[in-house]
Amino acid sequence: MLITVSRQTGSLGQEITDLLGQNMNLPVINRDVAMRNVFPEVASQHEIHMLAESPSFFLTTASDGLTFAQHLENRLRTRVAAESLIIFGLGAQIIFANHPGALHVKIIASPEVRIGRIMQSQGLEKKDAERFLELSDRKHKRYISALYGKDWSDPLLYHITLNTDYLNINEAAALIQFMAENQQVPTPEADTAVEAQKLKPVVFKHQSEEEFAKILDMHGMEWEYEPRTFPIKWDAEGNVIQAFSPDFYLPRFDTYIELTTMDQRYVAQKKKKVQLLRKLYPGTNINIVFKKDFNTLIKRFGLLKGAQPNE
Amino acid sequence: MNKPGVGKTIFTQEQIQERIKEVAADINRDYEGQDVIIVSVLKGSIYFVADLTRYLTIPLRIDFLSTKASPEVIKKTGVIQFVKDLDFNLQGQHVLLVEDVVGTGLTLGLVCQHLEATQPASLKICTLLDNPNERLVTINIDYRCFTMPDLYLVGYGLDHEEKYRNLPYIAEYHRG
Repeated sequence: MLITVSRQTGSLGQEITDLLGQNMNLPVINRDVAMRNVFPEVASQHEIHMLAESPSFFLTTASDGLTFAQHLENRLRTRVAAESLIIFGLGAQIIFANHPGALHVKIIASPEVRIGRIMQSQGLEKKDAERFLELSDRKHKRYISALYGKDWSDPLLYHITLNTDYLNINEAAALIQFMAENQQVPTPEADTAVEAQKLKPVVFKHQSEEEFAKILDMHGMEWEYEPRTFPIKWDAEGNVIQAFSPDFYLPRFDTYIELTTMDQRYVAQKKKKVQLLRKLYPGTNINIVFKKDFNTLIKRFGLLKGAQPNE
Repeated sequence: MNKPGVGKTIFTQEQIQERIKEVAADINRDYEGQDVIIVSVLKGSIYFVADLTRYLTIPLRIDFLSTKASPEVIKKTGVIQFVKDLDFNLQGQHVLLVEDVVGTGLTLGLVCQHLEATQPASLKICTLLDNPNERLVTINIDYRCFTMPDLYLVGYGLDHEEKYRNLPYIAEYHRG
């Protein structure tokens, strides 16, 4: 089990993590632990000082050719492989983003609440507490941005975000514990199912699509069949009332292809849909295969004569 | 010379040469100070690549590719095959692909993927005729001489059943 906790200063993240560690009987790795246990082996006194001061110094190379960030990451990976633990900060939500057993938690609070807490805990005036938070937030952001090129505040980096405006330390720790102990961890079976889905033979709706797929195969082009549906019309309440799924997508050429080999009465409708899609999704490349072009291709490559038109 | 089926001239010899000179000037400017490998796709582009390269002043080498897409081959293999592959190693080289016609972009896509697999430093595309109305595969064309009318054309490398490639101009062809 691995729990990573990222927190805003003044969000009670440290207190929640300490309590969580006690309640779950898990060791907590935080910045102090890392500075004490990882860097003395590979960094000089001056370098340790610099690591404490400057996020970008983590990208400096140690004498063995690895950066200090790599040393930290390697040590964390070794620990995580060996035991269940909680990592507080250190970019662990990114290092272990794809770790199957990880729970990534972010703890936040509103600026007003955080300022109030800092004023109380540090004995600061309001303006000094504001400045304290500003510097602290900037440092957190810079560490993640400099080392991993990610935005620390991106909610997609976390499984759960807790707002301690509305939760006390006990409630927050209990919530995280509950989630960690009841987490739906992706199983190898689930992964296999996803792979199997990918390998499932494509069932085409129309023969002409199957023939066109053969033409793409002939040209060595990777394709996907109806991989995406674009909503193109909504009602007054915002419900989608019309959508459009182009027949093929060519990932290498970022191009959608729509076959219009059907009854020519419907061609105008389809053209309109394509125009609408281009307008609503600017930058989307979509091209139409008209009946004449399709027949030319079929003839050129000696494919099935008289492939039935699609709808 | 009796030329059954050949209709009105679409691009005269003079128009073709003038336009190629202009495109060559653009290429000379863009590739200044660089060595280039020109890759020409047989057979339609033979006259075009011959004239174009004679207007180019940059250091260059010429290589050829040829594909076979007859129904017989397709039936047998399921894929279009390269029957003449590159002689040069393109890795790290600036490559200019010269085509006669870009229509659907399917063949061009095949060739581009083949060239990209060799890891060139850059790959640009130059075509004699471009028919964007036919385009199915979105590929950026860096240099084009003419936009192609919606006609069946022969001459200056373009053929009908292997005939009329040697016409010095491009003309409409009436089939059947």
